[in-house]
Amino acid sequence: MLRFVLFRLLHAIPLLIAIIFVILLMLQLIPGDPVQAMVGDFPVSPDFRAAITKQYHLDDPFFVRVYSYFLNLLHGDFGYSYQFQKPVLDLIVETAPRTILLTLVGFLIAIPVGVTIGVISGTTRNKAVDRFWTSATLIVYAIPTFWFGQLLVIVLAVHFGWFPTQGMGPLVSRAHGWSWLLERAHYIALPALAFAAYEGPRFARIMRTSVADTLGQGYIITARAKGLTRWAIIRGHVLRNSSLPLVTVVGYALGSALGGAVLLETVFTWPGLGLLLVQAVRVRDNMTVVGIVIFAALAIIVINLLVDLLYAALDPRIRTGS
Amino acid sequence: MSELAAPSAEPRPLARAWRNLRTAIGNIAHTRHGGAGCAILLLLALVAVFAPSIAPYDPLQQAQASLAPPSLENFFGTDNIGRDIFSLVIYGTRTSLVIGLGASFGALILGGTVGMFAGYFRGAVEAILMRVAELFQTLPVIVIVLLTVALFGSNFWLLLAAVILAIWPAEARLVYGQYIKLRRMDFVAAAKVADLSTAHIMLREILPSAIPPVIVQAALDASVAILIEASLGFLGLSDPNMVSWGQILHVAQDYMTVAWWTSFFPGAAICLAVVGLNLFADGLNEIVDPHLRGRGLQP
Amino acid sequence: MRATSVEGGPLLSVRNLKVHLRVGETLVRAVDGIDFAVGEGESIGIVGESGSGKSTLARAILKLLPNVELAAFEGEVHFRGIDLAGISERALRDLRRHRGFSMIFQDPLGYLNPTKRVGAQVAEAIGGESSTPVGDRVQKLLADAGLPSPSQVVRRFPHELSGGMRQRVMIAMALASEPVLLVADEPTTALDATVQLQVLETLRRLHRDRKMAMVIISHDLGVIAELCDRIYVMRAGKMVESGDTLEIFESPKHPYTAQLIALSTRRHAAPVGANGAFPSEASRPGAAR
Repeated sequence: MLRFVLFRLLHAIPLLIAIIFVILLMLQLIPGDPVQAMVGDFPVSPDFRAAITKQYHLDDPFFVRVYSYFLNLLHGDFGYSYQFQKPVLDLIVETAPRTILLTLVGFLIAIPVGVTIGVISGTTRNKAVDRFWTSATLIVYAIPTFWFGQLLVIVLAVHFGWFPTQGMGPLVSRAHGWSWLLERAHYIALPALAFAAYEGPRFARIMRTSVADTLGQGYIITARAKGLTRWAIIRGHVLRNSSLPLVTVVGYALGSALGGAVLLETVFTWPGLGLLLVQAVRVRDNMTVVGIVIFAALAIIVINLLVDLLYAALDPRIRTGS
Repeated sequence: MSELAAPSAEPRPLARAWRNLRTAIGNIAHTRHGGAGCAILLLLALVAVFAPSIAPYDPLQQAQASLAPPSLENFFGTDNIGRDIFSLVIYGTRTSLVIGLGASFGALILGGTVGMFAGYFRGAVEAILMRVAELFQTLPVIVIVLLTVALFGSNFWLLLAAVILAIWPAEARLVYGQYIKLRRMDFVAAAKVADLSTAHIMLREILPSAIPPVIVQAALDASVAILIEASLGFLGLSDPNMVSWGQILHVAQDYMTVAWWTSFFPGAAICLAVVGLNLFADGLNEIVDPHLRGRGLQP
Repeated sequence: MRATSVEGGPLLSVRNLKVHLRVGETLVRAVDGIDFAVGEGESIGIVGESGSGKSTLARAILKLLPNVELAAFEGEVHFRGIDLAGISERALRDLRRHRGFSMIFQDPLGYLNPTKRVGAQVAEAIGGESSTPVGDRVQKLLADAGLPSPSQVVRRFPHELSGGMRQRVMIAMALASEPVLLVADEPTTALDATVQLQVLETLRRLHRDRKMAMVIISHDLGVIAELCDRIYVMRAGKMVESGDTLEIFESPKHPYTAQLIALSTRRHAAPVGANGAFPSEASRPGAAR
């Protein structure tokens, strides 16, 4: 088990370093004025230019630049945003939790729904039922996330007026306690629903495949031979063994949630990391863009590592060794 | 593609592959999903090719009343500066198809080459190339594209390159797996004994057999590419000189509270293209990998 | 639904059973018109090479076929006079849970849930009410199946046990429902030679002590000869010969049977009756396989 952990670490660290290296290389290759490239659509005075050039080693060889960037990273310095006038890390710390909240609530919806559909689809003997759910999943999968978000707004928020159209909360909120919670829920409902539609189909598909695979195993025949009811077999053997792949998929999805967040936070003006990234790209604030991307890479690699460890801990075959 | 050789000569592997492909497409059309997929793609292709004849207005023309709901004059309504959305959607088909097919093809070439070398030569080549692929697969596709656009801009060709950069690893992985599997087969050993060149073995011998699942992935890549381009358009980050479905949705973002048609129709078009490609890929998959699946849980 | 056994009729009777499978494009006539019967407390063997359809037969009888496309399923299977073809799921489950039939399989590693402790899996199989706590009953079953230190085995996962121990766990699970009929599909094939003999001995003991009818399926005539009173020889989905063990060995009627005997006696001690009685030749120690 310990060897497994070390092995994965040994794999993850060079990957992270390589990603950062490639990104910095891309930065280096930008045509035109390197100072403007870093700072964005922001006018620079000659003094400022000199200061920036010195601070980021823009005149020095590439490797010096890389080295200094890594050093900064180790100190928690992800760069400085001249657009927002704040260190990039501060911006990230401010916005990332909102994205995480959105992701988690979205998963809270997506996982039970996805698992249920997957199990029904995989265990039913009725071809039509299976086909129905598979088609439904495929259709939801094919709907562009941002369009779905917009439709949710148009139908549920504008037409029926049941939900707010955007944001995390009203401009001024005077709610307390339970009503505060309700208000939060009210605002997060549509974005989370859209997020669930984005990740849910994948969970359903994985679950269905996993269930179908499990059903082909010998121990299911043994379970039938023991006279267990359908439900007892599903509960005691199918669910437990099919869930392992799902854990990995959910874990990885958590790491890559930024992909969906970028689009959905724009639709709903949800002030998270995704919206920040889009805004930074629009004004060419490359320091921030690079900072966010590297942060995302770090988060993904760490989360993937944790997921793999979790899987190893859950599967008795790996845990106790054979 | 004529076989002029003497009647006893074997058709070249490429000709063989081409014939297999034609039969395959015929087969696809007969599978349930594949048929529907083919129909949709054909429809889109026709719309794209005959756009000038089909679209009632010049898409960029701002004559009509702005934000007008769907009517007989404007089937899909108009946007905030009076452009006819129906025409925009028609012309947008061209952009999407070009990017979809272009990026898919590019990813096929880039990923395919990388996978081919990694799978055939193994060793250090394999290690390096596959690590690079893994690098690109770590980050979400849209994040990679956003990064590229932020740093290098977003004209059409850069956009295409950015999309290719984001989707090539999947193709590479696939081709890599195929080559690893196929290089150990007898016909490769025979080719080596016959002293055929490496290039010949890789391209003429192995490639035709490796192709089937690769094509499935290519179809899926095309749908991903269309989604990415639409996403960029939606974010307001694609080439402003292009007419694209995503860009209409960008406009819709500000007006969806008052003009649902600006969001509904372009989005439906994207959905249609993606569904068509996915169905097509499904049909392909059925042919390429027919497997026996049992039915559910019995008593 | 409890049925009393039909007076004088066999415990299990199979008539003209046909099971045809569709594998891809081909039609496989796995079982093509089979008749056989097992009496109460009897031990019969079904011998055939791989592909003869014997495993399919075993599963088809107990309605344990995996999820494959069935092109055809005809014939009659009666257990204690009850027609298994038409009974409800519930009745079938009852038969499997209590005083009906059980089955053990060739591949204990694949047929045990890798993520569940062995004790829990045996506990699942226990049907019927009793005042004894489940844990005790599980340990007793494991002991009956020949496992040493059952209290420790109970907490293990299948992959932590040896092949022989896993097979004994399967046996324990099968015994939990106090079956009157046990079907064993290649019970010793996946095991080492010495372990095979031990497991065979366990099966023989159980057959004797519990007066449990057994259907042993194997490609190995030696195994069948050790355990069974009567033998059916199966080939390509059909029965080619049947009869008492000794008769078959001494004077096989069908050339195929003769072939099988020749193949096996080259490697085995001479057959003994299922009751462990009369050897006809001096036994050679240590079967070399």
